[in-house]
Amino acid sequence: MTPKTSTSARSLDDFLTASAALTGFGAFDLHGTGMAGLYHRTALEQVGGPAVGRFLDALDAAGGDPDGITDETARDIARAIAHMWYLGVWPQLAAPVHTALGRERANTAFTVSPEAYTEGLVWRTFDGHPAGAKPPGFGTWADPPPGAPAVPRAGERTSGLPGPREAGP
Amino acid sequence: MSPAPRHGRARYDVIVVGAGLSGSLVAKELGDKGWRVLVLEAGTGTLGSWPGHLGALDTYYAALAKVPNSPYRPNAAAPSPDVLDLTGLPSGGYRSHGYFLQQGPLPYGSDYLRAGGGTVLHWLGLTPRMHPEDFRTRRTYGYGRDWPIGYDDLEPHYRAAERALGVAGDAAEQADAIGLPFPDGYVYPMRAIPRSYVDDVFASRLDGAAVRETPGAPATTLRVVGVPHARNGTPDPRYDGGRGYRPVGAAGLPNYGERCVGNASCVPICPVQAKYTPLKTQASWDRRRVRLLTQAVVSRVLADGTGRALGVEYLEYEDPAAPAPTTRTAEADIVVLAAHAIENARLLLVSGLGNHSDQVGRNLMDHPVLLGWGLLDHPVGPFRGPASTAGLECFRTGPARRSRSPFRIEISNWGWSWPEGSPGSDVARLLGMGADPAQPRGKGLFGPRLRAALGREIGRQVSVQFLMEQEAEERNRVTVDRRRPDRLGIPRPVLTYDLSDRVKSGMAAAKAVSDQIFRLLDAEDRTAYGPGPLSPGWFRFEGRDFTFNGAGHGGGTHVMGDAPGTSVVDSWQRCWDHPNLYAVGCGSMPSMGTSNPSLTMAALALRSSERIHRDLTAAHRPAAVGPQEGRP
Amino acid sequence: MSTAPPPDAPAGIAAEPARVEEPPFRVPRDRADLHVFLQAALTLEHLTIPPYLTAMYTLRPGTNRPAFYAIRAVVLEEMLHMTLVANLLNAVGGTPLVARSRFVTGYPALLPYSRDKVPVALRHFGTDALDTFLSIERPEYVAEPPGHPSVAGDTGWTSIGQFYNTIRAGLVRLTAELGEAGLFNGDRRRQAGPEDFYNSGGEVFPVTGLASALTALRVITEQGEGVSHSVFDSDDLLFGEAREPAHYFRFNEIRRRRAYGPHDTPASGPTGPAIEVSWEDAYAIDPAAKVADYPPGSAVRRAAEHFNEAYARLLCLLERAYTRDPAALHAAVPAMLRLRELSVQLYRNPHPDPARRARGLHASATYEITEELLGRVRRSLR
Repeated sequence: MTPKTSTSARSLDDFLTASAALTGFGAFDLHGTGMAGLYHRTALEQVGGPAVGRFLDALDAAGGDPDGITDETARDIARAIAHMWYLGVWPQLAAPVHTALGRERANTAFTVSPEAYTEGLVWRTFDGHPAGAKPPGFGTWADPPPGAPAVPRAGERTSGLPGPREAGP
Repeated sequence: MSPAPRHGRARYDVIVVGAGLSGSLVAKELGDKGWRVLVLEAGTGTLGSWPGHLGALDTYYAALAKVPNSPYRPNAAAPSPDVLDLTGLPSGGYRSHGYFLQQGPLPYGSDYLRAGGGTVLHWLGLTPRMHPEDFRTRRTYGYGRDWPIGYDDLEPHYRAAERALGVAGDAAEQADAIGLPFPDGYVYPMRAIPRSYVDDVFASRLDGAAVRETPGAPATTLRVVGVPHARNGTPDPRYDGGRGYRPVGAAGLPNYGERCVGNASCVPICPVQAKYTPLKTQASWDRRRVRLLTQAVVSRVLADGTGRALGVEYLEYEDPAAPAPTTRTAEADIVVLAAHAIENARLLLVSGLGNHSDQVGRNLMDHPVLLGWGLLDHPVGPFRGPASTAGLECFRTGPARRSRSPFRIEISNWGWSWPEGSPGSDVARLLGMGADPAQPRGKGLFGPRLRAALGREIGRQVSVQFLMEQEAEERNRVTVDRRRPDRLGIPRPVLTYDLSDRVKSGMAAAKAVSDQIFRLLDAEDRTAYGPGPLSPGWFRFEGRDFTFNGAGHGGGTHVMGDAPGTSVVDSWQRCWDHPNLYAVGCGSMPSMGTSNPSLTMAALALRSSERIHRDLTAAHRPAAVGPQEGRP
Repeated sequence: MSTAPPPDAPAGIAAEPARVEEPPFRVPRDRADLHVFLQAALTLEHLTIPPYLTAMYTLRPGTNRPAFYAIRAVVLEEMLHMTLVANLLNAVGGTPLVARSRFVTGYPALLPYSRDKVPVALRHFGTDALDTFLSIERPEYVAEPPGHPSVAGDTGWTSIGQFYNTIRAGLVRLTAELGEAGLFNGDRRRQAGPEDFYNSGGEVFPVTGLASALTALRVITEQGEGVSHSVFDSDDLLFGEAREPAHYFRFNEIRRRRAYGPHDTPASGPTGPAIEVSWEDAYAIDPAAKVADYPPGSAVRRAAEHFNEAYARLLCLLERAYTRDPAALHAAVPAMLRLRELSVQLYRNPHPDPARRARGLHASATYEITEELLGRVRRSLR
């Protein structure tokens, strides 16, 4: 069994600070996935500690704003880390970046772990839950999602049915 | 203690080939009546245990492409076709690189699953009945093939199937909106699954609106209608004359899955097993009489010179990754092929049986699916609940069938997952990442702007699916190629598949309806069809682009009819050429209308079980075995 | 695999455990007395749910699946028990109260009706938590109800089973005194049925007379402690469901990391196949945590407060279901599932206090309920 924390708390904190800037989710939410350590290790394994360090430096140099990262390698690592947080999937890197990093592994996408998929942040952007996990309960799909207007339920339209309308040209 | 089946002696009353929906039901019915049944399943039985089920769930979570077969491990001894086997070419056409050998103008785009439980493990779970009109399109509208039986003949078996599968629905609404005849006062075992917010939004904007397939054509009034599901919901105390119904929970874990909790992954796997799967039926088999042998691939049906089926030859293997099979035979009074439409045809062709009519393998049908997708003007809560809880039923019947295929419209609850691979594709796109890593990448959005953009776009995704009827055509067929065997040496299926102009005209009408639906919804229509790697089903028709997908509804390949010269099986699904050989499943259907076919398939299997019981009773008496005892 | 426990939580819990108010040690004498007993039963059934949820949701993602399913099944049955007790109380004309600050004990609490002083705390999944659960569900010698010659020397309750037997005795006695129709005079519209609460683990049925009342009591006691010296419950007899080990034995399977076989008995212990349990795959938490431990304004504080609001919301929905509209149970299940999402995020966050963080502790949901919070949530539900 691998240790739960193979890296120092300090570097995980740096990774989380950068991840918050990349994803728009705060450290509490990121910890809340239970994936922080695994993702940090995955990034280190995939592109190596020095490249992760250069990415963190580039982000710092940009004042913490990922839009300000100019180096394409650092930027593609930023894309990959954001992609991982949102979907649980480490993606293919851009082909030139893969070459530039001299990676000794195939440039293939993979789901970091089964739980990484279910902890993807993308579902939370629209107040959803991952398909196949964290079910919200029987019938909840009938409720309006946050920000949506109430509409009549089936069977409630006893009156005021619109007459025949045409769809227009 | 009653006598256990004598495993040493490979002689049974019935051999059932395939432990999927039809096979599991036939084995259940005949085992309960006292017959000794051997069920031979080509795939593994791992999904029947709870650890096996959880393993499939993990495989699904870890899969990059969450296609219908993604939770289920590959099996070299019993390979399954996969929708990922097809790739579209840049300027049209397709390449097929899996189990099927495909040579038709268009690809057959559906998969199935060779494993204990069968393809129904990854079905959506919708159980609409076929419309009475669907059984006689030749007589009524001059196309396709008619059934030798009608809706009325099948109606009691529909009810039996609705009990066996555990259907939730609103019979009164089905009768009123679709015109389905039910016996007076009939209610489904469970109350209707609540329709989704997406459905309510559609209804609020579409109900009562009129659309026209072409300018000047008659208007059709839209109405959003709930659909029956084989999915656990709220039992209806009125069912069965007031005796009610108790939902059947998960196979392999007690007290689980007795109600849908909205995992929103019915296809490809229901984590709690609130959706019917044949594993539930198998859990109720009387195991003293029904013996399941998994990892046993039937290679040949054995028959004597008079046409009587004697039994089967099968290949038993241990390791699905590196099979080293042992050839065995088993004998029975009756052999029932229940291995999927394409596998049944393959077995008959390989065995050289049942094909006096030259119809075996022909009439291959599916429900070709056209998709439409767009963005609504407010959040709709996509990716919640069963994949579809309602649809538009008004294009399923009527005189328009004379000239174009009818269609059923499913309202999707899962955003653009099917048309665009959402939400994964949305994340990649907004991050500036294309599918090809060699292409330059965009700058990409990050941070709160990325989060907000994803929420705004995904949260408004809506899509509709048009399931087209495809009529039986002899040219659409399954053959076998003895020069291209699978790992066990059994010839692989060769598919020749195309869409008729009738289907294509139906798609043109469906697209016209789709355009109007998105206008009525005030939605931004994002539907677009073009060639490309993800569009193997692209074609042009009358100057316009279309892309279709398979629905996983293969049928027609051992077609039922009223005469031995023109059909493979009779109305009992019994081969005309072999009185004790049955081929059951969607392969028997002369037409599939616009209804998801599993319920009809189940009804046919239950009907055939009665006939098989009569056949066996005429020859023997059932084994004297006491009533089933409680489990230890 | 290592069997070392997770970083140690404080062994002793400093605060004095909360005490649940117990009804007097006697058989209920009249209707009002019976209401007090049944309300106490409702409180008792609820008491165990937060500790069970805490153990279940502190599991690290993807680990300890057998334990997850075992605890989950028990929690669902506890919710069934709560609803059956509410049906009982309604059937005899009472009013089940759950959205009350007194209803929620505060943790740690002393296990009521017990001879032993068993503290019940919100602990992460681990041997301490399992040992507590075993104490709660232990099938032991059940003494006769008060008044019986065999307990003449006793002055208080000695087991939960005795408490329930006393309710049973009270129901029988009052039925004889008042007549069945006289005792069971509650509003039948308040009875929850399978259409309102249907989930795995038995089903809710209306209580309309002595027979259904006694069946409800049987479900509650047999699912927990087993059927007369068997490992298994009586779901097969009562609901046509598969037989399963009763709660105590299910927890014991996890604690011993081995399943009961079909021929095992309480005395034999589990001798079936091994069950995979890794005690270290849980987020360690402080069993005495309070919201006030978290810095005001911090994300953890906000999340812990948010959790308690969601918990208050669940209680309000349950009270609505039990006192007015059984159909409100539909909304209660999603409300409970929401607790899962909110609590797992807390457990996965390091404790904000550096000292506790250094000991490997994580933030946690505290299940603290006040009248003020309930009032606020109740108003928002209107």
